[in-house]
Amino acid sequence: MIISVASGKGGTGKTTVAVGIAQALEFCQFLDYDVEAPNASFFLKPSIKNIEKVSMKQPYFLKETGADFSRCAEFCHFNAVAFVKGEVVFFPELCHGCGGCILVGPRGAVREKDVEVGTISKGISKPGINFLMGNLIPGSMRTISIQNKMNEYIDRDGIVIIDSPPGTSCPMVTTVRNSDYCILVTEPTPFGLNDLEISVEVLKKLDIPFGIIINRDGIGDDCVENFCSNEKIKIIEKIPNDINIARAYSRGTTIVEYQQQWKDRFLGVIKGIEKETN
Amino acid sequence: MKQITIISGKGGTGKTTLASSFIKLAHDHIAEDCDVDAANLHIMLSPDIQNNEDFIGGEVANVSDECIQCGKCEELCRFSAISDSETEIKIDSLRCEGCGVCAEVCPVDAISLNPEKQGEYYLSDTRFCPMVHAKLDPGAENSGLLVARIRDLAEDIAVKQDKKAIIIDGAPGIGCPVISSLNGVDYALIVTEPTLSGISDFKKAYEVTKFFNIKTFACINKADINDDNTKIITDFCSDNKIELLGEIPYDEKVPKNLSERRFIIDDPESKAGKKIKEIWNILKDKLYI
Repeated sequence: MIISVASGKGGTGKTTVAVGIAQALEFCQFLDYDVEAPNASFFLKPSIKNIEKVSMKQPYFLKETGADFSRCAEFCHFNAVAFVKGEVVFFPELCHGCGGCILVGPRGAVREKDVEVGTISKGISKPGINFLMGNLIPGSMRTISIQNKMNEYIDRDGIVIIDSPPGTSCPMVTTVRNSDYCILVTEPTPFGLNDLEISVEVLKKLDIPFGIIINRDGIGDDCVENFCSNEKIKIIEKIPNDINIARAYSRGTTIVEYQQQWKDRFLGVIKGIEKETN
Repeated sequence: MKQITIISGKGGTGKTTLASSFIKLAHDHIAEDCDVDAANLHIMLSPDIQNNEDFIGGEVANVSDECIQCGKCEELCRFSAISDSETEIKIDSLRCEGCGVCAEVCPVDAISLNPEKQGEYYLSDTRFCPMVHAKLDPGAENSGLLVARIRDLAEDIAVKQDKKAIIIDGAPGIGCPVISSLNGVDYALIVTEPTLSGISDFKKAYEVTKFFNIKTFACINKADINDDNTKIITDFCSDNKIELLGEIPYDEKVPKNLSERRFIIDDPESKAGKKIKEIWNILKDKLYI
């Protein structure tokens, strides 16, 4: 079973929840899909056994052949190839690596090379958490290339916990779309509610069952609870506002390590999800 | 005219709290929300929309009945957007990046690319200044392109109305919308917090601003929750010549004021609000020269 932990708004406690659940389970697979800002390793402290490079294909143009590259520029839907004064100009930051320019360009004069966009680290976190983390190279925009590569390592046999990036656009969709259940972590403020509403829309569109965990319960107001009761959305757990949890987080101490009761509470969350998804 | 983008790497460090405060305190400026998939600035600024435009981001492939199921498109699609079952070719619109390779190779021209509306963008009035903002459709792609659209719109208006500054609320992370929101700005302000995650993501955000050669400032929010980590950030800033504009204390008045849609800088008892005003006083001298 794959359970993703997402949020919409950043900094609401996705990693706190995802890591807490993984520690409560003790044996599971954990994947950090927040490849632009991966943070779970500070809490799970895995011993990394292997770091794999992730690359994308990018074209290069053999100008010395004197070939006519104008078709490549006409074809490219991302404007990554231009044809200016008889010369081909390539903008790598706009390239999606689709291979179209090779297909339509002069035979043999457009080639491809691998360009590194990030890494995937694999390791073990005690006692039995099989840990994977994606990491985007600063300056690259190929967030989902790394996430797609990570999809290949998902082991569906056991329980899989996926820590999602914030937001509601393609990196979040790529993360949650394979999951059997999604936990949305939010905070009870107007910002939290606004982004929760959008995340709920995404999950409904993708037809993924979900439930809400309210973090920092007690700050702000009742807006999230009112929304959930109006929309008949299940609140599956609440984590109280506690500056000591925030302090523990700042040091890399997980909520389960800080207060033993969270082990049972997160196991209860998992049990509830298993029952709901059958 | 100067432009500043507020980013963080890690989400939830206080970007919008700072951006909205600066926007209330500034003059002759434009407000811009570049967090297009989880926008929050409008909650504080209550914009009155004057003009809205559809955002046609990219194209999505569609397959017609003429398909002979040769499977060529599936073979060449690099985004796993095409699945070939026994009976039909299916295109997954969420995976499709609109590259057009499938349409190009189709021997019977059964695939067409259709422009898709992926959101809207707005020009609004607020009680402080004009505001440019957007809403990406839930789950849509091309957030970087939408950010580029609203950046162009804001710059146009700034020139026409002779504005002195554009204050931009950025997105979390370091990916396409963030890079797009930094393109060509004068300054970046990274808001971080003294947690291990905050430090790591701060360094990543700084690598991006350095990569694009943007003059970078920093401030530390909730600075008193971990003094050791605050010291690590302070040291990193001085080693890298990043000007640290201030340390904002942890203050539960921040979410309380937010829930009442009140600006934290207007709460005379808020320590965080007081500090944010001090940070603005330093920043405004850099924006208005």
